[in-house]
Amino acid sequence: MSLLRYRAGPLVWTGNILATCLLLFFFQKILWLVVPFILALVLHYLLAPLKLRLLLRGVSHDAAAAMVSVAAFLVFALPVVYGFPRLLGDVAGLHETLLRYIGGGIRLLTDVLSDLEARSAFLAESGARAMLETQLGGFFEHFTEKYLPGIVMGLMVWSPSLLLVPFIAFFMLRDGWRFRRLLLRAVPNAYFERSLALIDAVDRTARQYFVGLLQLTLLDTLCLAAGLWVIGIDGALMLGLLAAVLAWIPFVGSVIGCLLVVLVVATDFPGQPGVAYAAIGLFVAVRLLDDFVFMPVTVGKSLNMHPLVTVLMIFIGGAVAGVPGLMLVLPVLGVVMVLGESAGQLLTDPRLHARHAHAKALELRRVTRDLRID
Amino acid sequence: MKWHWLERGKSRAGHRLSGTALFSDLGVRELRVVEAFAHERQFLPDEVVFDAGEDGQALYVVVSGRVAVIAEGAGDKPLAELVAGEFFGEMGLLDGAPRSAQIRALEPTTLVVLPRTEFDRLMVSHARIASCISLQLARHLGRRLRAMLELAPAREAS
Repeated sequence: MSLLRYRAGPLVWTGNILATCLLLFFFQKILWLVVPFILALVLHYLLAPLKLRLLLRGVSHDAAAAMVSVAAFLVFALPVVYGFPRLLGDVAGLHETLLRYIGGGIRLLTDVLSDLEARSAFLAESGARAMLETQLGGFFEHFTEKYLPGIVMGLMVWSPSLLLVPFIAFFMLRDGWRFRRLLLRAVPNAYFERSLALIDAVDRTARQYFVGLLQLTLLDTLCLAAGLWVIGIDGALMLGLLAAVLAWIPFVGSVIGCLLVVLVVATDFPGQPGVAYAAIGLFVAVRLLDDFVFMPVTVGKSLNMHPLVTVLMIFIGGAVAGVPGLMLVLPVLGVVMVLGESAGQLLTDPRLHARHAHAKALELRRVTRDLRID
Repeated sequence: MKWHWLERGKSRAGHRLSGTALFSDLGVRELRVVEAFAHERQFLPDEVVFDAGEDGQALYVVVSGRVAVIAEGAGDKPLAELVAGEFFGEMGLLDGAPRSAQIRALEPTTLVVLPRTEFDRLMVSHARIASCISLQLARHLGRRLRAMLELAPAREAS
């Protein structure tokens, strides 16, 4: 009766990749629900240890979920209420602020090009600086009228679905264990232990990924904030946090984060390109730290994947579902891999099928014992 | 800190586990904590609970009914029978080794199942429950070792 250890074959792998692409395509269609759901899942994973502590003190599931949710609501709501008037003021001045920073960025770029033109005759002849000034100037002159209303409208449309986040997180905390029991109750006895392992593995993969992502964000924020503070940039912590959150989008996010900081530096330190170079150097250093030190000990623990597969899947995710695909492809693939391997394990185990058939036959015999036709 | 104002009296769950060997030293509150992480399964007579050689993912407590422990290659003759209050499947959780025997229900049986993750979680995060379970497990393994030592001379003689 001893069982051979199961290893996923090419069929399961192909199935995993196809399922991941299908899920990403489907998720992209209902992004308004997927985004709050994922944010709620992250919030749930953050609060679950607190609920567990209450459970271990003998508090019921419902009471523990209610207490933790109220405490979390107070912790999150107070800063929002306190900071809302200031945020409104900032939004009102968003137009001017945006133009100021974009102007600073263009100035830095033209300064750098002027410097290069002074050193290279070829560049001077090509008139690259004048061309860039004309094109970028034209683009950004109408940028705020063209794109800003769209961005603000987009934020307004997204805000109601983001309000779902605390509600979903609360119900995950309160009823997650009921859902798990309900799922397991539907599983026949023969498959019960394997299903326990499967649900644990799915939960562990998602938790390790999202908690790892938060740890990575914290480490990135601290490193960037410390570096920017040393360089002498104001609001180093906010900028570091913003750049670290943008880095959730693989490849593109880091570049956007770096660009953002360079814009701020160029505006706050006009005529000092050395500070901008230092900020770019800092970003490259933090990126290297991320890839070789932080990633393996945070997010990397959750996804037991070959680096080449990871990179390929990120490209596939981007092609199938754009930016959401880039962000979601790794956790979705991680969970699909666990599900695929477990399904392969269950479907190819004849002993489990035989035990299930045996249990069904026993049940049939029990319920038909007194039903005899003479 | 006391949480009595939040506890819903004496839970049915507490009663269900209080008569079992593994949890006999636990109070009502601790029993409720264990119950919060446990599942219940019903088995028909002759139904297999698990096979020898499988990975152990859970610990089982017999709440009602009777199960047989059947060693691999020993035919249908059971090594032992376990009745309400007794437990099995603990070895797989302690040393991570595959199941050493098959377990089969002998009559309609209700089992409370404590999954490996929850068992490990209780052991690392609740000192009182961990110490009670560890003590009971040590006693259980001691009794089993003594029984084996007593049986050994008889086996050698035969």
